[in-house]
Amino acid sequence: MLRVGDLEVDRLSQHVKRAGRKIELTPKEYALLEYLAANPGRVFSRTMIIEHVWDQSFEGLTNIVDVYVRHLRSKVDDPFPTKLIRTVRGVGYGLGESTDA
Amino acid sequence: MNTRSLSFRLVTWYAGVLTLVFVVLGSLTLIFLRHYLESAVLDTQARRARQIADTLIASVDRTGEQAITREVDELYSPAVNDRFIRITTDTGRVLYLSGAPRDGSFVPSDIPTAGMASFDRQGVFERKERMPSGSVLIGVVASRRYRVEVGVSTQPTDETLSQVLLLLAVGLPMGVLIAVSGGFVLVRRALKPVNRIAHKAEDISQHKLSERLPVVHSGDELERLSISLNNMIARLEDAVQSSKRFVADASHELRTPLTVLRGELESLAQDAQLKVNTRESLGSLLEEVDRLSEIVESLLALSRLDAGEASAERVRFDLGGLVTTTAEQMSLLAEDKNIRVECDAARNVIVEGDRSRMKQVVVNLLDNAIKYTPNGGNVLLRIAREGDNAVLEVVDNGVGIPADALPHMFKRFFRVDDSRSREQGGAGLGLSIVKSICAAQGAEVDVTSRPGGGSCFRVRQPLARGV
Repeated sequence: MLRVGDLEVDRLSQHVKRAGRKIELTPKEYALLEYLAANPGRVFSRTMIIEHVWDQSFEGLTNIVDVYVRHLRSKVDDPFPTKLIRTVRGVGYGLGESTDA
Repeated sequence: MNTRSLSFRLVTWYAGVLTLVFVVLGSLTLIFLRHYLESAVLDTQARRARQIADTLIASVDRTGEQAITREVDELYSPAVNDRFIRITTDTGRVLYLSGAPRDGSFVPSDIPTAGMASFDRQGVFERKERMPSGSVLIGVVASRRYRVEVGVSTQPTDETLSQVLLLLAVGLPMGVLIAVSGGFVLVRRALKPVNRIAHKAEDISQHKLSERLPVVHSGDELERLSISLNNMIARLEDAVQSSKRFVADASHELRTPLTVLRGELESLAQDAQLKVNTRESLGSLLEEVDRLSEIVESLLALSRLDAGEASAERVRFDLGGLVTTTAEQMSLLAEDKNIRVECDAARNVIVEGDRSRMKQVVVNLLDNAIKYTPNGGNVLLRIAREGDNAVLEVVDNGVGIPADALPHMFKRFFRVDDSRSREQGGAGLGLSIVKSICAAQGAEVDVTSRPGGGSCFRVRQPLARGV
């Protein structure tokens, strides 16, 4: 079980809850969220995300990450007042507060 | 047969000139032969007429006209020799007329008197004449009192001439035919090495610049041609090699500084104390670094493919399955633009090759299709078998490609529209990577398109054997 703020990611059942509410995700969206949630606060570059969630063949296709993050955001962040998914322009995406801060 | 080929043109010219020469030569031969034969015959007739005139007419006073008749019959026996002899007096009375010849080639009494107009001339004169009827050649000797006409049928002369004509009519075309076929064989043989050189040179320029043309040490023009072509290929190979090496070296050298740059910038960008402005600038710097790295990585991948380091893996896989899962992994990209991606995959289309590289091909083609299809469009992925080949088609109903851009689609850094493509990212290397991967896998890729009517990219790869 991974916890970031009020977000819960159950790695066994692959269920995601936020503030006690269940969130339905597609397999790719789940894989992306799990990858980000495993290292809260850390910022991942698009290349790292692609290599982990997709595979090498998708390299160079950086907007695929942006599109999936946007969809993930609409499910995980939009209905809630605090935003968890963080964009660091030029670097990539992270979940939760920056570890540096 | 190719009517513009060198051998065809050479032989045609050769045959034409030869025919002309033969026809002119044949006509001249006929004309001179006829002239020669006729004048020889006429000479003989005239000589004979003179003989008769000299010996017989001179003695007419002594022996009487009856005797002449007899003597001519005896001495010249015209009927047996198919000769025509006629002796007339100055009053036009016929003193002697030879009988009909055995071959019936002329009727003596029908032959008009030759040279009548000249009869009243004084003295002896000779005349040679081809009778207008054409059947008798006649020599005439006339004196004051008598005229002797000696003739012979033209038949033998005509026969000789027609035989010569026949000989020419048959021999001439045959001669031309033999000369032409001989010439054709010769030209073919002389040009065969040229064809071989052309084929080989085509082969080399398309696939393997490291090979050379075979040089036949014949000491002729062809040896020189193949040697100079080989020198040219060598220089070409050098140029291509050094340009490839340059790209490979340059992209390799750029990689490390870019990584360092990226790392430093990233750690700067994550500093929370930064002003918003600085953070924005760092962000856009990082985006540019990203773009640069992407280009460098693509170039490196391309030069590796060129160098043949590509075919590391050869496995059998189902092309339809690969395409379907890849499309699923990218489904959000299409969904985002409201594009319907349809997969029409025949089952069990098994190919052999590098699976992950083939996947890259699918990703690049599908990404392109989605990128250049407007919101609400359609993309169709079709996988089928065509003979011994597996065929993957990526069809969209997007903006299409202008006809003048089609031949350049797979060239490096080529973009149909610079402004349009730049904002959508990409350096114009995606399709050249597709092309290089296909080439390394023994597959072919091509594109057809109508501006405004969408494009169709087609990858054709041999099916795996024994399936």
